Amino acid sequence: MSNSFIERPRTFCALGGALLTTSALPGVVPIMHAAMGCGASIYWNQYGSTGYLGAGYCGGLAAPSSNIQEKDVVFGGLDRLDEQVRSTIEIIEGGLYVILTGCTPDIIGDDINSVVRKFQAEGRNVIGAETGGFRGDGYAGYDIVLSALANAFVTPSAHKKAKKVNLLGVVPGQDAFWRGNLLKLRSLLERLGLEVNSFFTEYDTLDSIQNSGNSSLTILVSEFFGLKAAKAFESAHGIPYCENPFPIGPAATEIFLRCVADRLRIPRKKVDSLIIEETRRYFRYVERIADAYNDLDWQRYAVVVGDANYAPALTKFAADDLGWLPELMVVTTSVSEEDEPRIERVVNTLTSGCAVRVVYETDPTEIKSHFWKYAPRGSDALHQDSFSPAFVIGSHLEREFAADIGAEHLTVSFPVGNRVVMNRGYACFDGSLSLIEDLLSVIAAQR
Amino acid sequence: MSCLEANTAPRREDRLGTCIEFGGLVGDIAAPFCEGCLKNRHRAFSQGTICQLLPALAILTSLRDTAVIVHGAVGCGGAVHSLGASVRLGQWRSGDKNPKGALWLSTNLNERDVTQGGEEKLRKAILESDRRYRPAAIVVLSTCVPGIIGDDIDGVANGLRDQVSAALLPIHCEGFKTKVMATAYDAIFHSFLRYVVDGRDETRFPIYDADAAIAVESIRRKRLVNLMNVSSMTGPDQNELIRLLNKLGLEVNMLPCDAHPDAFRLAPFASLSVGVCPTHDDYFMGYLEEKFGVPFVGKQMPIGIENTGTWLRHVASRLGLESTAERIIAAEESELRTALAPLLPRLKGKTAMLSAGEIRTLSTAVLLQELGMEILAVRPYHYDEFGAAEIERLTEINPDIRLNVATAQPFEAVNIINRAKPDLYIGHNSDNVWAAKCGAAIMPIYGTNAIYSGYSGAYDIARRIHRHLANTSFNEKLSKNVRQPYRESWYAENPYKYIKGGELSA
Repeated sequence: MSNSFIERPRTFCALGGALLTTSALPGVVPIMHAAMGCGASIYWNQYGSTGYLGAGYCGGLAAPSSNIQEKDVVFGGLDRLDEQVRSTIEIIEGGLYVILTGCTPDIIGDDINSVVRKFQAEGRNVIGAETGGFRGDGYAGYDIVLSALANAFVTPSAHKKAKKVNLLGVVPGQDAFWRGNLLKLRSLLERLGLEVNSFFTEYDTLDSIQNSGNSSLTILVSEFFGLKAAKAFESAHGIPYCENPFPIGPAATEIFLRCVADRLRIPRKKVDSLIIEETRRYFRYVERIADAYNDLDWQRYAVVVGDANYAPALTKFAADDLGWLPELMVVTTSVSEEDEPRIERVVNTLTSGCAVRVVYETDPTEIKSHFWKYAPRGSDALHQDSFSPAFVIGSHLEREFAADIGAEHLTVSFPVGNRVVMNRGYACFDGSLSLIEDLLSVIAAQR
Repeated sequence: MSCLEANTAPRREDRLGTCIEFGGLVGDIAAPFCEGCLKNRHRAFSQGTICQLLPALAILTSLRDTAVIVHGAVGCGGAVHSLGASVRLGQWRSGDKNPKGALWLSTNLNERDVTQGGEEKLRKAILESDRRYRPAAIVVLSTCVPGIIGDDIDGVANGLRDQVSAALLPIHCEGFKTKVMATAYDAIFHSFLRYVVDGRDETRFPIYDADAAIAVESIRRKRLVNLMNVSSMTGPDQNELIRLLNKLGLEVNMLPCDAHPDAFRLAPFASLSVGVCPTHDDYFMGYLEEKFGVPFVGKQMPIGIENTGTWLRHVASRLGLESTAERIIAAEESELRTALAPLLPRLKGKTAMLSAGEIRTLSTAVLLQELGMEILAVRPYHYDEFGAAEIERLTEINPDIRLNVATAQPFEAVNIINRAKPDLYIGHNSDNVWAAKCGAAIMPIYGTNAIYSGYSGAYDIARRIHRHLANTSFNEKLSKNVRQPYRESWYAENPYKYIKGGELSA
């Protein structure tokens, strides 16, 4: 990675992540306090990177925004914000209004809390979050908004429900399959006997979010994303959290379920029977693809490119469930050196014993260099071993690389601009069946 | 144009009095605009929209062999994830079977950079990108953050010219600086004129004198014209305009979109500059005329039947090709009318509303009128003197056409749709969905690799409108099953309720 620039960044800015997160919450209306272009900039990013996720109820170019100008930069933008919040409440129907700041007001030092307090004093449901783009990436925006909810919206409750959990770690938009993934996770956890507050699915409501303070555990399906939000729920509501690698496929999901059950003291028998049932179901389908998998030799060498959630999850699934050889894993999230072992633990403990080289890189052109270092181009020798047949599981930015090395390619990680995503998800047992479909369909499409 | 001495072009508000807030009828805007009453307006309620950075990205990332450095927070270039699709298509069209897509970089300014300045990071980014990609040009786009913290992108670029092999083009596109996104066009041309066309960077583009002299003569003899395309033009649009210019016996140097930076170097040697959008290129073509004696025509967009004829006539009249043009126009129109005949009865009397860039909206409205449709409302994204002629034509056609000047702002659009109830909405990418949720049939006003320009475009637009009206189930059902975020009371309000101000500027 270069330390002076990022090539084609695989992320929104903090405001973008915050805007997508807010727009994904039921009945919540964002109010951007930002320069005029942040709206379309984020929306056009969303359009091309999240499987054609549309604006929804009040996102996209409908998202209210103060559109501050040069004079506001000079004189301060709070008068304009005050006017915008008032007019937004007048014209837009919402259960909760969330002010999200862009770079400009954050640098000039607009104190949005004074505006928030004023409207709260009038009995309006308004909260605010400082999400200037320079404060971080889209994942950071998710954490900031959910922390703001924890601190300013969720009702404190001294009485926790033993079997109620909050689910964090799937970031709307940064994960194009967020809706499907959350649905798979939610439904699996429900079958474990849990009541799940998942924030963003069609089964969540603003009320259920407001009442999430009586959960007894936050389940993170990430060791990186949502961590700050989980900590906010811990400090504001005394809800502890447990971190898990993002689970894709039977191997990872079994580990995930056992960890959660352990934490919540769910009887072992119950977990065992759920795992047995789900595994049996998984193999009902796998059984009938096994013919082609073996007859047509659908085993592949693979390069996996994804964020700190997807890279290890896809690698583990490819190696331990699909029987592929994901020998190069490229992690596109910038993680600190002390955090690297947490990512690598997953691929260092593969049951298949597959050896995975891990690199940390986000620039698409540099990924190619890493690959050539790992798998040097062949000589003129008649007989030579090569990285073939190969598959690249990455983002749409890896298309050129995949074609270059003669590999098949599927887009899973951000940006997802060459696929349409609705309720598809890859998480857990059920989701991994969809992933098998999608991976093998790429190969089958050539027949 | 001594303004080239400045680091950036003036804002459109200042240069042209451009406005983005107006509501009324088509005939209502001329007087207040001329009197300056539309300056200093604002909306008390507004929705996030497009700043000048975005059209700049659309144009600049399409340039061949060019790296675009977005100097700002990490999100500022993100739009290229979708804009890049057409860039990739353009590369494919020009023969690259494994296209690399748009090459853009973010300096990813963070909290530390905001307090300590981002110049050093930018300096390193320029040097490293020159080494890594070896592009012909490196464009540095300034965004809000460096604009506020005061990074001197021109100084950084000037300090590095001798250390990089690429031409360095600093361009100012700070989103908060102007509310008229069209300012981007001037900002881009300003930098290209300054650093490429004007030869201040000539060491980057060596010209051998004798060769150049011969080239100049042969090019002039060949009747080379600069065709100023716009980023909303598709490949098929460009081909159609090139086809028509070729028929006139002209050769085309197309720029800025999809062009190699060298096309700018060639521009002063052309015999004529031909604009396709009056509000797009006056800054550039005016300078070429003044400095290099290259005349220009640019008052007509070639969308629409009569419009395309007028556009060709303007070109021909500057080159003494009038009679050739008349022959071409007569033949093209006759062929087109024959082809259109079976389609027209199906379009007759259908109502439409349009929303997009100023000239495209107004020209397309004129075309629909030619196709026998009725225009209910037009929503140009901005208004300036270049739109006056088309507004006048629409006023003559029907003075009751509603005019709403707004850069997107779908809350005003849905209010108008709810009153006017058009059969068809022809809108800009990203604002169509709000009309779709009202149940209107939609035709995108640009893009999707379709054709809109010239005679082929006129036919194809008619054909596509027919298709869109032939089955409207998708949006009808959508409208019955999803809701807009506005309170019911909004639909009873004046759609322009939130447009405030309008005093004469001081």
